[in-house]
Amino acid sequence: MTAFVQATLYGLLQGGLLALVAVGFSMVWGVMNVINVAQGAFVVLGAYIAFALNSTLGLDPLLGMFVAAAVLFLFGYAVQRGLINLVINAPIYLTLLLTFGLDLMLVQGMNIAFTADFRSIPTSWAGKSLALGDIRIPLGRLIAFGVAVAVTLLLVAMVTRTRTGLSIMATGMDRGAARLMGIRARHVYALTFGLAAALAGLAGAMVGTVGTFNPAAAAGYTLLSFVIAVLGGLGNMYGALVGGLVIGLVEAWAGQYLPGTWVNAFAFLVLILVLLFRPSGLVGRPFYASRVEV
Amino acid sequence: MGTSSADVSTPARVATTTARPRAEARWRRPLPWAAGALVVLACLGLQTQLYTGQERTVTTIFMFVALAQAWNIIGGFTGYASFGQVVFFGLGGYTTAVVMYHWQWNFWLALVVSGLLAAAFGALIGLPLLRLKGHYFAIATLGVAEGMREVVTNLPDLTGGGAGISIPTVGPGAPTAYLGNDGFYILFLLLAALAVLSAGLVSRSKFGLALRAINQDEAAAGSMGINTTLAKVAAFTLSGFLVGLVGASYAFQQVTIFPERLFDVDITVLMVVMVVIGGSGTVLGPLLGAVALQYLSEYLRQHYTNLHTFILGAIIIVAVILLPQGVVNYAREAARTRDFSLLRNVRRYRL
Amino acid sequence: MSEGGAAPETPVLDVRGLGRRFGGLQALADVSFTVPRGRTLGIIGPNGAGKSTFINLVTGHIRPTSGRVLIDGRDMTGARPWSVARAGVARTFQIVKPFRGMTVRENVAVGILYGPEGTGIMSHALTAADEVLEQVGLGALADRPPGELTVADARRLELAKALALRPRLLLLDEVMAGLRHREIEPSLALISSLKKQGMTIIAVEHVMKAILAISDEVLVLHRGRVLTSGEPDAVLSDPRVIEAYLGHRYVKRQRAVSRDA
Repeated sequence: MTAFVQATLYGLLQGGLLALVAVGFSMVWGVMNVINVAQGAFVVLGAYIAFALNSTLGLDPLLGMFVAAAVLFLFGYAVQRGLINLVINAPIYLTLLLTFGLDLMLVQGMNIAFTADFRSIPTSWAGKSLALGDIRIPLGRLIAFGVAVAVTLLLVAMVTRTRTGLSIMATGMDRGAARLMGIRARHVYALTFGLAAALAGLAGAMVGTVGTFNPAAAAGYTLLSFVIAVLGGLGNMYGALVGGLVIGLVEAWAGQYLPGTWVNAFAFLVLILVLLFRPSGLVGRPFYASRVEV
Repeated sequence: MGTSSADVSTPARVATTTARPRAEARWRRPLPWAAGALVVLACLGLQTQLYTGQERTVTTIFMFVALAQAWNIIGGFTGYASFGQVVFFGLGGYTTAVVMYHWQWNFWLALVVSGLLAAAFGALIGLPLLRLKGHYFAIATLGVAEGMREVVTNLPDLTGGGAGISIPTVGPGAPTAYLGNDGFYILFLLLAALAVLSAGLVSRSKFGLALRAINQDEAAAGSMGINTTLAKVAAFTLSGFLVGLVGASYAFQQVTIFPERLFDVDITVLMVVMVVIGGSGTVLGPLLGAVALQYLSEYLRQHYTNLHTFILGAIIIVAVILLPQGVVNYAREAARTRDFSLLRNVRRYRL
Repeated sequence: MSEGGAAPETPVLDVRGLGRRFGGLQALADVSFTVPRGRTLGIIGPNGAGKSTFINLVTGHIRPTSGRVLIDGRDMTGARPWSVARAGVARTFQIVKPFRGMTVRENVAVGILYGPEGTGIMSHALTAADEVLEQVGLGALADRPPGELTVADARRLELAKALALRPRLLLLDEVMAGLRHREIEPSLALISSLKKQGMTIIAVEHVMKAILAISDEVLVLHRGRVLTSGEPDAVLSDPRVIEAYLGHRYVKRQRAVSRDA
């Protein structure tokens, strides 16, 4: 029983972090119909930035993550404005290819700059754990979970209440109409992508504190983002949270009760089933055309 | 090009000659087939001129020509961009490896069976998956490929799992003698020719017209009597069959295979890049794209080992932005409209 | 036009209690009527009334959630679009999207290759396509890519593609939309000639002049239900129709225009 509760707790904590990894990806896909294959690379890049700040300046990743977010925001904005905006009206696999090329460049770039060694960001607090009866709660994971959930909720608030956020949603729903109402779509798209990159960078910094990472880990995070985004419904931020928690739980429970190696196969099966039977995601609304392209 | 105010009852007269008499074009029709035959003969002749290393490079080029053409059938003609085609590659490869290792089957028999099994799998998953559109279809096929890799890794008794499996090629256990560099050169050349031939036949046939119609407007295609489900599944199955054959041959060539390599998503991506850069929906495009990209990749790998992926990524980005329709389509359209501006390309798709 | 068809008394289209829900929205409910051979039915109604849903239900692009569709007496409820096409039902699409990457001729050839006659030979299909193009007046543009056509010509191409199926029933989805006044005349002439050949037509339209010119009978859809149907003049003077859709002055004007035409 304890093992089950422990696994559940672990799954939830991990799931919250995974949600943060995926929420930007889901937003970009939902709002702009762009699949960012380089999402994982953004995450790992954020981790490296926090790592570099920590090892050279001794900056705690809880502060370093803001720097990582800022750097990635600028990078993401530039990429969208300068590259992706140029192919946004082309058949979908072209944007896929473009982000794939970006991913190749980023991963190889990080390999050259940082080598393929596994790294992690040492902190004074990540290794400790709280005890609740027989259950141990790793402090690092708890804090990462807290950051993740807080940021996701902040994102939802920003998107539904600020003018910028509303313009993002409006452009996502009907680009033509949004432009006719004075919204600068190029800027809004770039803002969205930059925001998503910033979130990925933030998540990366947190990932760096609770585990190890190297450039090759990027692919895994991209794949996870796919699964979570689909599960939660594209562009649906609460959905990303739900999707992340579900995946975290599924992985934790499967890790406990299934022979370890079948977990991934199971995850893919779930992905395919969701796509076939409930493409709007577990939380999304069916029949509702979430986006009109002009 | 509007109607003139005086002449309203006749359709707009465009200042052009009436339709070319079709007889004039007849002599041009066998031209591509003849050219293709010549190219195959040339490649056979080329073989005698190459060193072993070069021969292997060209063999790999043939392999990708076949793969690119196969992807083009479902992704280019029909417009269903599959990001999981490598699943057929892996299935073909592992089927061959398994039957040759466990039951000492002859390679040629294994080759045919692998192709057919891959095709059957394509028909099986095609039916549900081809109901999905665009990104969803891409992701679902990717999920299938990744999932199959996991399944293969988790059946070590059958497939050797993560440790790999080796096809017996020497000694009494070997059902077929190893083909060697020269043999594989010819095998992959034939596979490439088969793929190009298939693509060519499809392109010019009633079937190809249906696929193009589905690509443009699936609802309208259905309303014109095209059984879109059947056509899509047929295209997907054909593509899977060809890729399966290539995978089987690859397995035999490599002797020892591993799941990560046989189900590597990079293989799918390379297929897609080659078709896109060359020109999707044409027969010449994937051919050129495969040759150019594979040659480029080899060159980069040899001379810039560290930066090779980095530069490849940059090239992909530039190619996608400047030539989204691919070289062949760009060339054809530019020749027709006499407008060679690349900027026009960018303006067409930009926000 | 009765090869393989049912007895002449069987209506070409018989719709019974047809309905479709989307989640909480009842887009169409309890629609029943018949269209006898050789007649032209005009369907009008405000936006959102369910006209497009109706066409999609008949042609098989959407499955009905209730009711039945009989074509020439055969139950084709929920049949796939290609089965419906092969049963002799052709349609035009409101948003015209010709098959790019093919010539105008090839666009039409698709219908000939895959229609009820289903010839397998490309060259025969291409020749037959030319005949259809002549019929709609696009003969000179057969070799052009469809992207170069004007709106009016593109509509003609839509019609040609539908006619390529040698249909028994032709469903026209707002073919007059967006046409200038002097472009409407030739389209009306084309439809009249089809009527003379005995074609059964259902036309969904907003352009009243066209509805009055071609319809033998008019049906009004409102909020997914049939409001009324009958003689064009009677329907257009029906106060419920005027209130729901037309407006008094508009009806007077349209009557005047069609009387002068």
